[in-house]
Amino acid sequence: MMDDFFFSLLLAGISVGAVYALIALGLNLTFWTTKTMNFGQGSLMMLCAMLTVFLSSQGLAMALAVIGSLLVVAAFGVFIERWTVRPALQASGGSMGWVVSTLGFGIFLQGVAAKYFGSQAVAFPDVVFTAQDFVTVFGQYVSLQYLVVLAVAVALILALELFVRKTVWGQAVHAVSLDPELALVQGIPVRLLVLGSFMLSSALAGVAGVLIAQIGGTVDPAFGFDLVLLGFVAAVLGGMGSSMGALAGGLLVGILSKLVGGYVSTAAEHGIAFALLMLALALRPQGLFGRPEVSKA
Amino acid sequence: MAEPLLSIDNLRAGWGEAMVLDGISLTLAEGQALALLGRNGAGKTTLIAALMGVARHRAGVIRLGGTALERLPSERRAALGLGWVPQERNVFRSLTVEENLTAVARPGRWDLAAVYALFPRLRERRANLGGALSGGEQQMLALARALMLNPRLLLLDEPLEGLAPVIVEDLLAAIRRLVRDEGMAAIIVEQHAHQVLPIADHAVILDRGSIIHRGAAPALLAQPDLLSRHLGLQHH
Ligand SMILES: Nc1ncnc2c1ncn2[C@@H]1O[C@H](COP(=O)(O)OP(=O)(O)OP(=O)(O)O)[C@@H](O)[C@H]1O
Ligand SMILES: [Mg+2]
Repeated sequence: MMDDFFFSLLLAGISVGAVYALIALGLNLTFWTTKTMNFGQGSLMMLCAMLTVFLSSQGLAMALAVIGSLLVVAAFGVFIERWTVRPALQASGGSMGWVVSTLGFGIFLQGVAAKYFGSQAVAFPDVVFTAQDFVTVFGQYVSLQYLVVLAVAVALILALELFVRKTVWGQAVHAVSLDPELALVQGIPVRLLVLGSFMLSSALAGVAGVLIAQIGGTVDPAFGFDLVLLGFVAAVLGGMGSSMGALAGGLLVGILSKLVGGYVSTAAEHGIAFALLMLALALRPQGLFGRPEVSKA
Repeated sequence: MAEPLLSIDNLRAGWGEAMVLDGISLTLAEGQALALLGRNGAGKTTLIAALMGVARHRAGVIRLGGTALERLPSERRAALGLGWVPQERNVFRSLTVEENLTAVARPGRWDLAAVYALFPRLRERRANLGGALSGGEQQMLALARALMLNPRLLLLDEPLEGLAPVIVEDLLAAIRRLVRDEGMAAIIVEQHAHQVLPIADHAVILDRGSIIHRGAAPALLAQPDLLSRHLGLQHH
């Protein structure tokens, strides 16, 4: 008989890990099209969850509140691409400016949210199940909320993977990630793909925010800040740009941090992820699923 | 007179601060093939790159079917009908052959079936990665991919450079079929005039960014002295 405590940690780890994978996937998406990542994603997660709380408190049905929030957050993706990433990429010399500009925009959003929603944590409403709903599997209690989170995250990851592998748009994204200049002169609408990647990446962050808020039960303006870093660790662990890597990296980070949180100290929960990152960078810098660069020459 | 397919008027272009093309003017009618000749560094690639919006445009007008191109980004020019086969680095190395083709496809007469019929070899290697192809196969792929855009004008930059003689024959036959039988308009850059002049209608010789000779391709082929003066020793 598996130890109950261990099992509950494992399940929690898998569920949040799948959400980290979703965040990692969002980072990958813009990495494919522009070799940049939106570190403001954490604030978009927060914003989406906050907006959902706000809209549902205004009497909107939960599903509509979530969809409306996702649309707003996706629109922020357009803004972020246009006003934080593009100028940073165009600035002569500083090609890493986007790290600061996207992070800075995230901090700004966090400040705005604190002003309008207050800096206190607010309760996040139950979307489908409550924290008390569970099923029993092999004599273990399994939270239905965790299962829903896991199912949504995995379904989105698979859908995106299918989209990228099987559709012409996916091939075009792949082409842009390999050689943006060649893609451009072959008539691939690079700008559109870049814009689309930022919108989708932001929407994924929004979904991740709603899912994590559902598990945690509350949101506050600072929510999301650590999470995007955990997503980043997952992306690097798995191999930047690899979807399978994002999933594996996310699960690894999720499970390990929950186990450490359970058996050692919750204070160490997030810290362990960064220890993992440093270890991975030293031992296998290309990540679990990363392939060495294919040369262009 | 009908509007020419391509008209270039007093084009000045280069790279960064350097000016390479010094007032180029030429026109090309629908269905015509132009051989663009000149020694190393004459500015042939720069001219093609200026048409595509990759080189820096300084002055002059470029029109494709009456539409001014100078201010348009490269992807719009490709969408309007310029099918470029760059001189180097011209396939997506980690896409398969078929993905290379479908990623850029636009509706029209040239689809997968049509380009595979032109290059049966590509059909055999459709599942291979672009980077795993031989030099000649990559060149075929680059040409096939340009066709998938269903362009109005093909821009081929030294498509035969550095290829084994048997592959040169295959590629040349395909290009001949395109421009002679299919009526595809093309600008074909070459250093070896004898390979391209027989399939071209017109010829232009560039030197240090200016046109120093223009005329009918067959006429130029009949003037070996002119060719060797402007292009140096010619290999057959
Ligand atoms: N991408 C580039 N960036 C900067 N300068 C360039 C670039 N391409 C060409 N040049 C410069 O432009 C000038 C003309 O070169 P270009 O490549 O147009 O000649 P070409 O006729 O195509 O020669 P080749 O037969 O060797 O291909 C040269 O001085 C070259 O150094
Ligand atoms: Mg050249």
